[in-house]
Amino acid sequence: MPAFGSFSLLVALVLSAYSLLAGAVALRMLATGNRVAVSPERLAETARRAGIGSFVAATCAAFALVWAAFTNDFSVAYIAEHSNRALDIKYKFAALWSGQEGSLLLWAWLLTAYGFVLRVRHKVDVTLTAYASTILAGIQVFFFLLINFPATPFSLVQGPVPPDGNGLNPLLQYAEMVIHPPMLYLGYVGFSVPFAFALGALMMRYPGEKWIHITRRWTMVTWLFLTVGIFLGMHWAYNVLGWGGYWGWDPVENASLMPWLTGTAFLHSVMMQEKRGMMKSWNVWLIFSTFLLAILGTLLTRSGLVSSVHAFAQSPIGTWFWVFFVIVLAICIFTYILNRDHLKSEHHLESLVSRESSFLFNNLVLLVACLTILWGTFYPVLSEFFQGQKATLVGAYYNVIAVPIGVFLLFLTGIGPLLAWRSTSMRSIRKNFVTPSIAALVVAIGVIPFGVHPWTIVTAGEQGSFYAWITFTLAAFVVTAIFAEFFRGARVIQGHTGRSLLGSVVQLTRRNTRRYGGYLVHFGVVLIFIGISGQAFNQSKEMTMSFRQSMTIGPYRIQCMDFSQDSNANYDTEFALLDVYRNGHKVTRLAPELRLYAASQQPLTVVANHSTPAWDLYVIYAGKDAATGQPVIKAFLNPLVMWIWIGVLITILGTGIALIPNLSAALAAQRSRVTAAIPEEVVTAGKAGD
Amino acid sequence: MNRVTRFAVLPLLVVLAAFTLGSADTSARFDRLGHKLMCACGCNQELLACDHVGCPNLAQETAELTAAVARGDSDTAILEAFQAEYGPTVLAAPWLTKFNILAWVVPPALLLLGLGGTILLVRKWRLRTVPMPAIAQDTHSKEIRERIRRETEL
Amino acid sequence: MSTIASGLLLIGLFLYVFWPDPNAEAQRNKTRLEYLRERRDNLYDNLRDLNFEYRAGKYPEEDYAAQRAALENEAAETVAEIDLLETQTLAAPLSAAHHSTL
Repeated sequence: MPAFGSFSLLVALVLSAYSLLAGAVALRMLATGNRVAVSPERLAETARRAGIGSFVAATCAAFALVWAAFTNDFSVAYIAEHSNRALDIKYKFAALWSGQEGSLLLWAWLLTAYGFVLRVRHKVDVTLTAYASTILAGIQVFFFLLINFPATPFSLVQGPVPPDGNGLNPLLQYAEMVIHPPMLYLGYVGFSVPFAFALGALMMRYPGEKWIHITRRWTMVTWLFLTVGIFLGMHWAYNVLGWGGYWGWDPVENASLMPWLTGTAFLHSVMMQEKRGMMKSWNVWLIFSTFLLAILGTLLTRSGLVSSVHAFAQSPIGTWFWVFFVIVLAICIFTYILNRDHLKSEHHLESLVSRESSFLFNNLVLLVACLTILWGTFYPVLSEFFQGQKATLVGAYYNVIAVPIGVFLLFLTGIGPLLAWRSTSMRSIRKNFVTPSIAALVVAIGVIPFGVHPWTIVTAGEQGSFYAWITFTLAAFVVTAIFAEFFRGARVIQGHTGRSLLGSVVQLTRRNTRRYGGYLVHFGVVLIFIGISGQAFNQSKEMTMSFRQSMTIGPYRIQCMDFSQDSNANYDTEFALLDVYRNGHKVTRLAPELRLYAASQQPLTVVANHSTPAWDLYVIYAGKDAATGQPVIKAFLNPLVMWIWIGVLITILGTGIALIPNLSAALAAQRSRVTAAIPEEVVTAGKAGD
Repeated sequence: MNRVTRFAVLPLLVVLAAFTLGSADTSARFDRLGHKLMCACGCNQELLACDHVGCPNLAQETAELTAAVARGDSDTAILEAFQAEYGPTVLAAPWLTKFNILAWVVPPALLLLGLGGTILLVRKWRLRTVPMPAIAQDTHSKEIRERIRRETEL
Repeated sequence: MSTIASGLLLIGLFLYVFWPDPNAEAQRNKTRLEYLRERRDNLYDNLRDLNFEYRAGKYPEEDYAAQRAALENEAAETVAEIDLLETQTLAAPLSAAHHSTL
C-alpha cells in the first residue's frame, strides 16, 4: 500500500503540472489568437480533466495513508511516528493530520477537492473557470512537489519494522481535535479559490463584477470553515489545555487569525464592488493578501521561525514555503501592474457619512488589527535581529493593543448598517440612531450595579472593567440596531402580504439572505464579544484539599468527596470527586482528572467544567501534594464564557442563511426569461414587415 | 488614546467616586504580576497559564514571585529581578526601551495613519465627483424610466 | 496488489484525460450585451433595495428622491444601450442567417 500511495502522489504531481502547462498554453493561444495543430478548446479540456484526475490520484494517496494507519502498517515511518495499536479508531483517522507530512497531504487533497468542484462546475463561466483552474493547478504543483520530495508521508522506516508505534499526542486525543485541523485547513485552502478567481479575472481583464458573484459563495464557505476551525481550537484549548483560558496569542493562533481578518474585510468590501463598482484594486489586494497570509501562516508553523506550542519540528520545508511565497507575491504584483488600468472605479465615495465609508473604516480597522498581529508575531524575530536578544510579546501586549481595536470594530458593526449608501443626511442619522442610543444608555447605567465599574481604569489602573463596560454598552447599541432592521423590514412585508410578524421576518430574510444572514452573523459576533469581555471578571483559587475539606469561589462551595488513582492500557490517571454546592444545595459533582499516557509519557489534564449562562465553574486537578498525597485543586470562575460558543453557533447559522439563494433573485431570473422571450416576437414582426 | 478615554470617564468619576473600591490586595497583585511574567521553560506561556505537569520552572518562579509580593517589593523591582535572573524573555511584554518602544508605537501609529489617510482619500474623492448630467427628457427615455420603475417595484 | 492498483489508476486517468471529447465547451469572451445585462440586474437590485429601505422608514423623503434619481439615470443609460444592441443583434441574423449562433 505505501508503494501505491507514493505512486498516486507522483501521478497527482504529473497531472497537476500538465493541467498548469496545458491550461496556460491553451489560454495563451486563445488570448493571442495564435493557433497550432491542436485546438485550444481541446487542450483546455484536457487540462481541466487532468485537474479532476489529480483529485482522484490525491484521494488514492490519502486513502493509502489512512489504510496504513488502520492496518497498523508501522513499516511506514509516519504511521510508526503518529499512531499505535491501542489507539481508538476515530483517532486513527486523525493520524492523517497529526504530523507534518500527513497534514501537507491533507492540505493538498483538500486543494484538489476544491479544484474538483470548481472544474466540474466550469459551465458557470468557461473561460474564467479555465483561468482559475490553471492558477489552482499551479498551487497544486507546489504542494505535490512538497509531499513527493522533501516531506513524503510514505517513506519507510530504516531497519526492522517496530512492533508498535509511538501513538498520537494525547492532547490531540479529543473529539474536537479530530475536526479542528481539517476545518482550519478547509479554511486556509479554501481561500485559494477566490484568490485564483481574482487573479484569473485580473489576468483576462474580465469585464464586470460577475466573478465576485461566482466566488461569493466560495468565500463565505471558506470563511465559515476558518471561523469554525478557529473556535473549535479555542474550545479545545479551553477544555483540554486546562489553564482556564481559550486564547493565548500563540504565533500559530495568530497565524490563523490573520487571514480570517483580511478575509472578513474582503467579504465586506466586495459588496462595494458588486453594488457600486468601487474599490476594485483594494479588493484584489485583500484577497491576494489573504491567500499570502494563509501561506505565511503555514510557513510560520512549519519552519520553526517563531517558537510556539503548535510548531512542528524544524524542517527544511520552510525554505520551500519562502520560495513559493515570493513567487506568488511576484506574480500578484506583476499581474497587478500589467492590468491595473482595468481596475478603475466606476464611482467614487460621495460622503464621509455613508455605508461605503463605514465599510472603508471597517476594512481599515480589520487590516490594522491584522498588521498589529503580524507585527507582534514577528517582533521577537525582529528584536533578535536588531538588538541581539529575543523579546516576547504575549497576552498583556495584545490586550493593551488589540482590545481597543476590537472595541472600535464593534462600534462600526453597530453604525454601519444604519448608514445609507452614497450619503446619509443628518435627519436620517437622527431617525435611525435614537432607539439604539437609548438602549446603549440604559445598559451603560444598568450594568454598573452588577460590578462593571468603568472608573477602575483611573482609580486602580484596571483596564478590563472599563473595556467590558464599553463592550456591553456597544453591544446593546448593535443588538438594538439589528433588531430594528428586522422589525422595520418585517413591517413593510407585513403591510404588503398581511402575514404575521414572524412570517414576515422569514419572508424578509428569504428576500435578501445575504443581508439578513449577515445581520445574524453580526449578532453572533456581538455575543462573542460579550463572552470575551467576561474575562475581565475572572476569579481563580488553588488549594490542596483533604477529604471533606471545602473551598469557596464566587457563589459556589466545593467539597472534596474522594481522590484516587487508576490505570489502563492507554494511560494512568489520578482524579478527585468534588461536590459543588450553591446556597446550601448540591448543584453537581465534578471529577477533574490528570492522565499520564503510557505510549508517549505525556500528561493530560481532563477539565471538569460546570457551565451556566452566567459563568463557568472550571476545575482542574493540578497535581498531588508531594508531602501529603492530597490533590491540588485549582478552580476558576469564568463569567459569560458560554456566550462565546452560543455566538459561534449563531454565526454559523447566519452564514448558512447567507448562503441560501435569494427569493427575489429567483423572481428576477423569471423576469429576465420573460424579457429574453420578447425579441422573438420582434423577429417575427420584423420578418412580417419584410 | 488612553488619555482620551480617561477624559471620557472623568464626569462619571466625579459622580461615582464614593463607590470606588480599595486598591488591589496581595493575591490580586500576585495574579496581575503572574500574567506579566512568562514561564521560562520555553513553553511560551504566561507564568500563571503554564499547564505543564512537572514543569521545571513553574514552581521556582511562582515561589519567587510569592516571596517578592509578600516582602512588598514594588512591581518594577520584581520584574527587574526576574529579568536579571531569567533574561528578557521572561517578561510577557518588553520594557519601554529604545527599540522596544517600537513594539508599542507601531500599531497605534498604523491606526492613526490609516484613519488620516482614509479621511483624506474620501475628501479627495468627494471633490473629484462630478454631478451626474441630467438625462434627456425625451419620450424614449421617459418610457425607459417607466419600465425601470415597473420592474423594480417591491 | 499495489502494482495492479497503480497500473489501473494510471491507465484509468490517462484515458479520462486524453479521451477525445467531440464537443469541448466553447471558450469565448463575454459580450458587451451580457456585460450590460449583468450591470442592469445589479442596478435593479440596488433600486429595489433602495425602495425597500425607504418603505422601511430608513430614508428621509429628499434623500430617497435624490438617490433614486441617480440610480435611475444610470439604469436608463444601461437599458438604452441594451435596447440598441438588442435591435442590432436581431437585425444581424436577418442579413446573415447562420451568424446568430456565435
